[in-house]
Amino acid sequence: MMWVLIVSELAVFGAGLAVFLSVRITDPAGFAAGQAHLHQMGAGVNTVVLVTSGLLAALAVRAAEAGQVARMRWLLAPAILLGGVFLALKASEYIDLFALGIGTETHAFHTFHFLLTGFHAAHVLAGMILLAVVGWIASPRAVETGAAFWHMVDLVWVLLFPVIYLL
Amino acid sequence: MSTPASPRRLIRAWAALIAQSALATALALWGLSAKALAVPILLLAFLKARVILRDYLGLAQAPDIARGFLLVLALFCAALAGLALAAG
Repeated sequence: MMWVLIVSELAVFGAGLAVFLSVRITDPAGFAAGQAHLHQMGAGVNTVVLVTSGLLAALAVRAAEAGQVARMRWLLAPAILLGGVFLALKASEYIDLFALGIGTETHAFHTFHFLLTGFHAAHVLAGMILLAVVGWIASPRAVETGAAFWHMVDLVWVLLFPVIYLL
Repeated sequence: MSTPASPRRLIRAWAALIAQSALATALALWGLSAKALAVPILLLAFLKARVILRDYLGLAQAPDIARGFLLVLALFCAALAGLALAAG
C-alpha cells in the first residue's frame, strides 16, 4: 500500500516539476530573477539534513527488525528532529521572501515555488508525525512503512531541489 | 516492502548522497548558465534518486522492480533536461 502512495506522490510532484520547467520556457529571465531571491545554500544544507534523516530512518528499520526497540527509538528521534530543522530552514526562507513583499502572486516562478515546496513541507510534517507514531508502535512492519514514507519525502526533495533552486 | 541495505552500505549511500548534493550546489554557485547546468545537475539528481531507491528503500533486493523504477526515472530526468535546455 505504501508503494502505491509513493508512486502516486512521485507522479504528482513529477507533473508539477515538468509544468514548472514548461512554463519557464515562456519567461526564462523572469524565472531566473525569481530564483535569485531563494536561499540556494540553505536549500543545499536542507538536502544534507534530509538525507541524513533518511539514513537514521533506514538504520531504525534495521534496528526494529533486529528487535532492538530502544535503539530504533534513539535513531528515529534525531530523524524526526532533523525534519524539524528542515522545516525551520524552509520557514526562514519563506519569512525572508515575505519580507521582500514576495508572495504566491508575485510571479509564476514564486507560485510554483511556494506550491511545490509548501506541499513538500506538508509531507515533511506528516512524515515527522508518522515516524513518531511508528516509533511508539515499534513493530518492524510499522517502522518499515513509516521509513518508506520518509524516504519518499527524501526522494521528492532530491528532484525538487535541483530543478527549483539550481537550474 | 523491502529491507534497507546493511548499515555499512547505508553509510556509504549517505556519503554518496552528501557528495553528489555538494557537487550539484557547487556547480550552481559557480555561476554557470542554466543551459550548461541542466544535464550535469539532472544527472546528479538521477544518481541521488537511484541511491535512495536502491539503498534506503531497499529496492536493490528487488532488481526487476528497481530496473523499472530507474528506467522511468531516467526518462523523466531526460525530459526535465530537455525542458531546461529549451528554456535556455
